[in-house]
Amino acid sequence: MATRKKVLLKVIILGDSGVGKTSLMNQYVNKKFSNQYKATIGADFLTKEVIVDDRIVTLQIWDTAGQERFQSLGVAFYRGADCCVLVFDVTAPNTFKSLDSWRDEFLIQASPREPTDFPFVLLGNKVDLEPRAISTKRAQQWCLSKNNIPYFETSAKEALNVEQAFQSIARNALTQQSQSVDLYNEFPDQIKLTNTTNRNSNGDSCAC
Amino acid sequence: MTSIQDNDYKAKLIASVKKEVKQVMEESVTKKFVHEESGSVTSLCGAVEACLSQGLRRRALGLFKTSSTTALLHKIAKHSSEAALISKKVIDLENLDPNRRSSSSSDSTTKPVLMKNLSFQNVNLLPKYLWIRLALFEKQLSRIIDYLVTNASRYYDKDALVADPDYGSILSSLLVGPCALDYSRTKTADHFWTDPPADELLQRHRISSSHSTPPPVRRPIPNFRRSLNTSSDESTNRCQTQHLAKDYVESLHQNSRATLLFGKNNVLVTPPKAGQIEPMPGYLSLHQTANCLTIKWTPNQLMNGFTESDVPDKNIYWDYAIQVRLDEVVYVHCHQDVETGGTVILVGQDGVQRPPIHFPRGGHMLAFLNCLETGLLPHGRLDPPLWLQQSYATKNHKRKRPLPSLVENEDEPKDFVFRIVDSSNHKEISVKRHDLMNRNGHMVTKVRAQLGSSSTSSESSTKSFSIEQSCTINDGSNVCIQAVCESMKRQIISRAFYGWLAYCRHLSTVRTHLSGLVHGTIISGENAKEGLSEEKWAELFVEGVLNNPDEVYKLTYYGGVAHELRKEVWPYLLGHYKFGSTVSQREELSEQTKQAYETTMSEWLAVEAIVKQRDKETQANAIAKLSSESTSGEQVPPQIQRDLSNDVFEDISDYEFDSNEDLTDNEEKQKRMKKTEQNTVIYEGSDEEKQVNNETDALPDKLPQDDEEVNVDLENLRLTNSVLEEACSSTTEHNSQIEETDLRRFVGNVIVTNPSVDMSNFSMEIRRKSSLVALTEENGQSLECIETHGLVSPARSACVSPASSNGGVYSPELLETFGLNLHRIEKDVQRCDRNYWYFTCENLDKLRNVMCTYVWEHLDIGYMQGMCDLVAPLLVIFNDESLTYACFCHLMERMVENFPNGNAMDCHFANMRSLIQILDSEMYELMHSHGDYTHFYFCYRWFLLDFKRELVYSDVFSIWEVIWAAQQVASSHFVLFLALALLEIYRDIILSNSMDFTDVIKFFNEMAERHEAQAVLRIARELVLQLQLLIENK
Repeated sequence: MATRKKVLLKVIILGDSGVGKTSLMNQYVNKKFSNQYKATIGADFLTKEVIVDDRIVTLQIWDTAGQERFQSLGVAFYRGADCCVLVFDVTAPNTFKSLDSWRDEFLIQASPREPTDFPFVLLGNKVDLEPRAISTKRAQQWCLSKNNIPYFETSAKEALNVEQAFQSIARNALTQQSQSVDLYNEFPDQIKLTNTTNRNSNGDSCAC
Repeated sequence: MTSIQDNDYKAKLIASVKKEVKQVMEESVTKKFVHEESGSVTSLCGAVEACLSQGLRRRALGLFKTSSTTALLHKIAKHSSEAALISKKVIDLENLDPNRRSSSSSDSTTKPVLMKNLSFQNVNLLPKYLWIRLALFEKQLSRIIDYLVTNASRYYDKDALVADPDYGSILSSLLVGPCALDYSRTKTADHFWTDPPADELLQRHRISSSHSTPPPVRRPIPNFRRSLNTSSDESTNRCQTQHLAKDYVESLHQNSRATLLFGKNNVLVTPPKAGQIEPMPGYLSLHQTANCLTIKWTPNQLMNGFTESDVPDKNIYWDYAIQVRLDEVVYVHCHQDVETGGTVILVGQDGVQRPPIHFPRGGHMLAFLNCLETGLLPHGRLDPPLWLQQSYATKNHKRKRPLPSLVENEDEPKDFVFRIVDSSNHKEISVKRHDLMNRNGHMVTKVRAQLGSSSTSSESSTKSFSIEQSCTINDGSNVCIQAVCESMKRQIISRAFYGWLAYCRHLSTVRTHLSGLVHGTIISGENAKEGLSEEKWAELFVEGVLNNPDEVYKLTYYGGVAHELRKEVWPYLLGHYKFGSTVSQREELSEQTKQAYETTMSEWLAVEAIVKQRDKETQANAIAKLSSESTSGEQVPPQIQRDLSNDVFEDISDYEFDSNEDLTDNEEKQKRMKKTEQNTVIYEGSDEEKQVNNETDALPDKLPQDDEEVNVDLENLRLTNSVLEEACSSTTEHNSQIEETDLRRFVGNVIVTNPSVDMSNFSMEIRRKSSLVALTEENGQSLECIETHGLVSPARSACVSPASSNGGVYSPELLETFGLNLHRIEKDVQRCDRNYWYFTCENLDKLRNVMCTYVWEHLDIGYMQGMCDLVAPLLVIFNDESLTYACFCHLMERMVENFPNGNAMDCHFANMRSLIQILDSEMYELMHSHGDYTHFYFCYRWFLLDFKRELVYSDVFSIWEVIWAAQQVASSHFVLFLALALLEIYRDIILSNSMDFTDVIKFFNEMAERHEAQAVLRIARELVLQLQLLIENK
């Protein structure tokens, strides 16, 4: 019997400095939150094996420096990405405003084959903090305008929605890599990447 | 949902379980065991979970909170003893893991805690489908599911899979098989290689390298020589001794990088180094990796574990072990012997024989050759082939049989020679040898093309085969030997020539590219190893004057500076203090530095106040917008919208301009005042609206009074200072001590340097504010409210006035730029080394001040991430803001080029490449085989921060001072050699795991702050010296 091929999915986390990229990655992979992280210099990555549908995939999650000046390094790291995670801080409007430029810059540097179909996932992080500056609605509108990007509101600190978000990320990355149809797609617990489920998943976390 | 769809879905679920069961059963048959962590187990559990989830009455059972079926297990544990057992185990496991809450049992997917006995470091997490997994391993799963099926009505909807009379029983019976299996916890080869963390790699390396610790620094010339004669005997052996020790642990077994094709114990070999005649028994193995086949032989003494006591020093056996790459072997000579099982001798390209391998009886030699032949495919083959296709006898029935005489029980001993033909590059050989072949007229053309000329030499001495077995080459043998000798001669000469050529190229690379990296003159480190100690310092620092820079640099370079002296020595090393300066000169310098620093600081503090104010308002805007969005739907009421879009900043300047024009028009002014107050306060939200109204209503009564008293009076200003201070300190959140002095100067600054500021307006503003504060206090209003006004006023009065009336002391662009930088600094300072004892809030503020001052002075450069990391160690040593600032400026002269706008990083990468090429060709080959320059991005942080993040604080100090001193002593690119030293320290790990770009990044990120700084420094200095010698030698 043919052995299942191991799949490596490369995921890039982008967003302004201090929105919690490193924290999200570590919360997801190591199930830990620390307030001791320093500003990321260069790039780092962690890997995690997950099961998406019936396949074991290895997520290689790349955490990058948040200052846009370091984007020039990007080209070395973005290459071959299967999914791009954009992160903003729901309490900091500027981090939301720069999402467009992060997305554009990624598409330029990674130059995926089909830029319009390349999977992005948006995470609004720090929902545990007050006061909130970017409403769920506004974020969802942005997502809608960008080819219906899935949106999750997370808290790396409280581990809110992190698992779900990355499950969706892995799934999107996998779809990007292989367009094969899987049996488990019809399983009840999947996260549907439509607006309705987004609303649901935001429901537990949204504080407003 | 129709029942047909439902049935389809159930059928699919069952089919998937079937598929997974089949997979697991097959695995158990083919591999003899199934690993607990095996992917097929996980998949099976997943399929089972899916079946169990379908139609589960979550709501009725109170299970709706979890998505997994773990809760179901706990539920049925009351009724089923099997379930109770598993449930208990699950709870136990979860309790072991502090990171988990028990409710979310199966939602995670990570390395399991079950395998705690494994060497993975990060196995503190539970696997997915924990309970199903456990139940399977405990062989209880089918019984639990049986129970569920029997009692399905209690837990499942009636159309659920489990409740289905057919599917339910199918499900439980399907699982009987997997439940009967034994699952292994032993790590198997396929699992062994899943991303071992750095710890694990180090550990493995330590185990395997205990026998021979390879010298960390490689001499370039021997290295180079080795690559020239890769196949010469002593070089392979040298290679063996270095590599075999660690290969032993990993490579003798099957693993994902090498397949074990053949293995036989008690194979006798006379090791070349042993010097004894008796052949030794050992383990012979044949491994296939992606690029080549390797034959290994390990003495039995090494194979029988490490506990044998009769061997005093096992290390010598490592020298005996043999490792031969098959691509270096051209001929395989087989000597059959009636007595023993046969002997195989491998002959290399250079004609040198490897030690004979004596097989025991029992067809092992044939088996070995058989495996060898299989392993060579498809890129190579044995010639003649071991197995002949006897197509002559019966055309239609092709029959395979071994060469007739290779079967052991043949009567007389026979010898054979096989040539290993590499079909990937044999073309040129066949062309070259064409004429030679023609001389040997008996050869059949078909075979001829495949045979290299040199083969004939050995063929002549032993019995040779061609496919047809029809030729004898006795007549032509003399001619052949001559031709072969000639060709060998040519080969030897050309090899020597190419070797020489390569050597010349090598040296020219060194000269052209690398001579600039080190200083030409070698300064010896004699008597300098102990560094700049207190005694040495006392000798050198005479009457407050430091006169001997060379000595200081040399001592620092070779031995570092005593920690207590760093505060004094570092300013010299960084170039802030001049050598030979007197105490008073330095004091003067310090005073100047301090004053300049404070002046600069007061400048940016003023701007900061404005920026903060604007932020507050934007923040308030955003919140107001958000709350209006959430309360009143999509449309923001037009009134609020207008207010929101009003930039308060502009509004105020507007107002001041007006008040300048017609100061006497009280009514007008009051009206405007009212407006601004509304503007600023309204953002606080609707709750406070009432308060605000009260306040603004009360204002006009008081204001005219104040207005009459308006006069330009410094005294007055001083009086209001206290209010200002209070306000300002809450704005900037600085400690009030600094703030007070700065603010004084700052106020003075505004008055003196901007004479065009309308003074009356200024003081009036302050008055108004103070009255406001008084007013609010009188009214006993909330503290929040007072703060709001306090925040608004000083910023507005102090900073906006110059801007508005002077026509752009601070342009909007400048405010924008500096504001942006401020935010970044703020973010990064808070995150900078907060785990280091020095960085308390107070000291973080100092760090922030230094950083802001630098950025204010270098706005064109701006703040870039990483700068904080560079300031921090300086501040820790100096604990003085202005000195830190001055030294940081000096440091940045060199470092700024590393940041994205400079081009030093690319230079570093290019130099690294050349250096590795020269100093470690093996490493270079590895990196080269994996691609391009991107490999050096793992050095990015090293160079950007001078290794600050790679080392613990105390080591950062010692590395930094050596880098600074090295500029004068040995190399102004010392960081390169530090980077090389780091690579060299772990080179064996990198090489033996053949790490690629990502592996290396991960490895070094995990190794951060765990390097041995003194070793790194020592090796780096050695590397500098090595390069210096190399260049000197030209």
